[in-house]
Amino acid sequence: MLNKFSKCVAILTICGLCGCAGTKESLNKQPDEVSGLENYNRAMFTFNNKVDKYVLRPAAKGYKAVTNEYVRQRVSNFFNNIDEPISAVNHLLQGEFLNSGNNLGRFAVNTTLGIVGLFDVASSFGMEKHKTGFDETLASWCVPDGPFIILPIMGPSTPRAATGFVVDGYSSPAYWMAQESGGEDAWLVYYSASGLKYLNLYAENMSMLESLEEGSVDYYEAVKSMYLQNRKKIKTCGEEHQETPDYDFDMGDMDEDY
Amino acid sequence: MKKILLLVLSAVCFAQMAYADIDGAKATAMVENLTKEGIEKIINSTSTQEEKNKVFKQLFTENLDLDFIGKYVLGRYWRTSTAQQRKEFIDLYKEFNVQTWSKRFDEFKGKKFVFNGTGSANNPNQIYVKTSVPVPDGQPIDVKWRVYEHNGKLKIIDIIIENVSLAQTARNEYTSYIAKSPKGVEGLLENLRSKIK
Repeated sequence: MLNKFSKCVAILTICGLCGCAGTKESLNKQPDEVSGLENYNRAMFTFNNKVDKYVLRPAAKGYKAVTNEYVRQRVSNFFNNIDEPISAVNHLLQGEFLNSGNNLGRFAVNTTLGIVGLFDVASSFGMEKHKTGFDETLASWCVPDGPFIILPIMGPSTPRAATGFVVDGYSSPAYWMAQESGGEDAWLVYYSASGLKYLNLYAENMSMLESLEEGSVDYYEAVKSMYLQNRKKIKTCGEEHQETPDYDFDMGDMDEDY
Repeated sequence: MKKILLLVLSAVCFAQMAYADIDGAKATAMVENLTKEGIEKIINSTSTQEEKNKVFKQLFTENLDLDFIGKYVLGRYWRTSTAQQRKEFIDLYKEFNVQTWSKRFDEFKGKKFVFNGTGSANNPNQIYVKTSVPVPDGQPIDVKWRVYEHNGKLKIIDIIIENVSLAQTARNEYTSYIAKSPKGVEGLLENLRSKIK
């Protein structure tokens, strides 16, 4: 089911990317929200919030009750380690060979000395974590981000971010292991592990999300603004993100550009 | 040759003057002091939540120029608001921020700020104080403090966490709310009033 769903998202998002001209200017002038899309986005945002409230939050609360921070950190380390080869491949595609080597080194050290990735031994050896994915690879190839879109369950995204998410999912070693084994049990383990990965992530950030919602007059707009500002951190066409945001505290300039 | 040298020298002096308005070392010391006090008196303190909130409110209002931020946040609606609406907005905005942020203390438990120098903010009397917060899982969180000098005092006018500006986020959110509200600015004020406990 999830497999089919991710395929649909991949097709939709790749279609959204078709025909995009990859120039730096077009990257900087992406519309934040296509007119008419806001109504859909707000409706989907409300739906996702209901799922959050009635499904994810109770599940995350239960998960938090039966685990402590130490356990959640091990779970997080384990999944971060599985993702290292994805970062290695994408750093290669971005022409960042040293970082790619670093990812492979970290994977080797943490899988062995770090006991299947439960402990991040590599960081203590000075091999810093540098995560990347296909979304950043596309950005380095000058593929525009596209408009802001709320995806079912997954939440805030853009066509490029969603494409990156799906491609990373298919290139994960965990996916290939399940594919290779082919058995129903292997897929069950794969989907359970994927569920645990996101539950762990959600549990760790749940209180922050709650406080963000409480401190907003328009939660949707706050999430959209934060998400889009944060995405400007991604290096595009080989350039570093801006050192500082491009707005100025000039009261004469009252436009509302992000 | 002498003329060229003089020209270069005066250009250097001019550039120095342009950025001499705000002292990076002083701005860094101010942010350093704020984070130190915040960690000692609130996050690691054993005092009651009520006392912590009081200290937080004092630190928050003393070090942040909420009048300046509030004006920026209201965007183009600042011009069309009445003097009374402006005043009420600033008051409500202060209260709402103190209320929201005092609940986020736990997020900072066990964390420390590493100071990484300053950066230009494209304005001679503003500067960025760059810090990072190491986290056990992954790369450190990047936090920048936008500091400006007003009437000889240094104040924070924005905090940028992982490229997300709190002032810009609030401006996007509030101006969008006003644009959609049939009552305009008054609608926003009503919403804020109802949120303040």
